[in-house]
Amino acid sequence: MNYVELSLTITPDYTDILTAELAEVGYESFVETDEGLNAYITEDLFDEAALEAVIAKYQIFTAIAHSWKALEKKNWNEEWERSYEPIEVGRAVRVRAQFHEPDDSFTYDLLITPKMSFGTGHHATTWLVMNEQLSLPHTGLDIMDVGCGTGILAILGRKLGAKSIVAFDIDEWAVENSRENFALNGVEQDAEVFQGTITDVPLERQFGGILANINRNILLSEITHYVQHLLPGGWLVVSGFYEMDEPDIVQCALENGLTKVRTDTRNEWATVVFEKTS
Amino acid sequence: MAKEIAGYVKLQVKGGQANPSPPIGPALGSKGLNIMEFCKQFNGRTQDKMGMVLPVVITYYKDKSFDFVIKTPPAAILLMEATKIKSGSAQPNRTKVGSVSWDQVRQIAETKMPDLNCFTVDSAMKMIAGTARSMGITVSGKAPWEENKEA
Repeated sequence: MNYVELSLTITPDYTDILTAELAEVGYESFVETDEGLNAYITEDLFDEAALEAVIAKYQIFTAIAHSWKALEKKNWNEEWERSYEPIEVGRAVRVRAQFHEPDDSFTYDLLITPKMSFGTGHHATTWLVMNEQLSLPHTGLDIMDVGCGTGILAILGRKLGAKSIVAFDIDEWAVENSRENFALNGVEQDAEVFQGTITDVPLERQFGGILANINRNILLSEITHYVQHLLPGGWLVVSGFYEMDEPDIVQCALENGLTKVRTDTRNEWATVVFEKTS
Repeated sequence: MAKEIAGYVKLQVKGGQANPSPPIGPALGSKGLNIMEFCKQFNGRTQDKMGMVLPVVITYYKDKSFDFVIKTPPAAILLMEATKIKSGSAQPNRTKVGSVSWDQVRQIAETKMPDLNCFTVDSAMKMIAGTARSMGITVSGKAPWEENKEA
């Protein structure tokens, strides 16, 4: 999604107020500048009339100058991605970039070029889910990866023997990036990637395993859907939330008929494995 | 040994909605920091404040690591929440769009105290009331210090 940058020249007394007003008309984030305030909004939500209306309200009290420009779509994470270190999950999985030498002592060698998508294994949640995957059955199963980011979990799933993978994300970068990473790892066959959410997956599609590394709120609202797509005996791995949020996630899953298998934590982040027993 | 600080980045981001686009992307990416790591942490820590604008101060270190502190939402946002209005008045000097009580002003002042340059809650309340007036929000009733004076 492309963004528009709005630059406002205003006195400090009005930065808070303009922040609040602009947030209400869709601006997502803000930076205070020496001149006043910069505000950022996606191109599709940018409405010049709404902006003029906000400015007009306060122009009678204070001088406000403004200008805006469309920003280029760019991989802002490039600098970090150029030099990231490989990640190891035990002695089984090694996640690396193309510029790293392979290490044959690992069973699973994963090549990831992240391009501003989440999932390199550096974050505790990705590491935790991969670690759980190593002890879960994958062979011959259809696996779904919800909020796939780089596609790292689906790729590992496939390398662990999954028959097919369905991966999706709301972010267009992630979808593009997952496709690239699937190709890099030679797992493009029987691998479907699309931009969307769980509600875009037809109900008749059933999976033996579901991976969802997202966040607490999304999980709480979507676990009920995951259960509908899970075959009896299938497993669900959820992550992307802190330890303190684990009880809410567990309660939600139990209310939806799942059985908790185990919880694992790392750097205050949690991952829980559930099973659909009937 | 403590890590050597390379600098600070100050942003205001909606709770639970950090993403690698501008301004987060360019602000952190240009320093070689892992943007996705920041977004995941910020979103994880702000799930209870979804959609609310939150100031965040990121400290980044010479080794490209970082940590951050999330501050209290801007007073104008808290006032909008308190009055349940979607935006300030179209003519803040003439048309009042909502009102808050002095108790609500006190609550907001107490919430904001850690981030304000105020020594007393009363002075913070005066600051919040000033912001309310600028937005076309009436503060109903008498200020506590006026009541005290009368007593």
